[in-house]
Amino acid sequence: MKPPFRLDQHPRRWPQPLSAPPAGYFEQLPTRVMAQVAAPACRPLLPSWLRSVSASVRTGLASTLLLGTFAASLWLGVEPVQPLSATSLGDVPRAELLDYLTSEVHLDMTDLAELPTRPLGITNHYLRPSAPELADAFDAQPTDEAALL
Amino acid sequence: MEDHEILRKFQDPASRNLAFNQLVRKYQQKVYWHVRKMVVDHADADDLTQDVFVKVWKYLGDFRQDAQLFTWIYRIATNECLGFLKSKRRKFFLPLNDVGAELAAKLEADPAVAGDEIELKLQKAILRLPDKQRLVFNLRYYDEMPYEQMAEVTGTSVGALKASYHHAVRKIEEYVTAADVRGYSSDAAN
Repeated sequence: MKPPFRLDQHPRRWPQPLSAPPAGYFEQLPTRVMAQVAAPACRPLLPSWLRSVSASVRTGLASTLLLGTFAASLWLGVEPVQPLSATSLGDVPRAELLDYLTSEVHLDMTDLAELPTRPLGITNHYLRPSAPELADAFDAQPTDEAALL
Repeated sequence: MEDHEILRKFQDPASRNLAFNQLVRKYQQKVYWHVRKMVVDHADADDLTQDVFVKVWKYLGDFRQDAQLFTWIYRIATNECLGFLKSKRRKFFLPLNDVGAELAAKLEADPAVAGDEIELKLQKAILRLPDKQRLVFNLRYYDEMPYEQMAEVTGTSVGALKASYHHAVRKIEEYVTAADVRGYSSDAAN
């Protein structure tokens, strides 16, 4: 019967128990490693300060930035309604105004014709007769029924 | 080139590549064999060794010199190996013994071991150890690393490492002895 196996009595394969790698492996390995680390020499996607913070902080920053951009676009997108002043319309040349109204708003020249306005004094006088004037006007009307037929 | 000189030159962008090339040349064999003993297969060891040095390149600028450079590199290599074996089990849903069987099959195909019966039994016994205990065994038995340095590499106390190593030796001896008895019995039966 064989005696129990004792590790300290077993001839140790030193330094390595396994077969060696292919010939020339350790001569080529540094070149292959250098090719890997030298390849990403292009500019990194994130700046160094951003790469140094944790992923959760980066996510928070990105969310804040997105929210800020959204709020800013909303804020800037709402233009204040400015009153159309007579001064600004007065600056528009008459010919352009006429062209806009006839081509875009589809008004014709009849719509745009200037109506003669009555003098304001006549209207006031006409609409506000005095009591004697009214009495005279009624008296002047025919009173027989035949005149009404 | 001394470690402190490598580190000093690495900080200078003009000499960074040269310094790192020196670092790889200095430590490549130790890293490779450390990884190779854990994963057995040369192709896997080659991939992992390159990954280790890529990580060294990536984080060497942040390396604080309160630890030895080689201890730090060993720790990266160790984490790569353990992560590789863990992902292998998770990826293929393999229980512990199946990954061990896969590694044992690779071992049997290794011409340096295949012809030596007792050595093959010893290596198979080592493969049966849990990954972390196998790591401790390799660092102590093959690399003759002091326990204090092993503690830095593994992040485990010296006392726990000593206990783990002696427990590993006992398990290996029991397995090889039992394998010898089985072999003797089968020989006798024949």
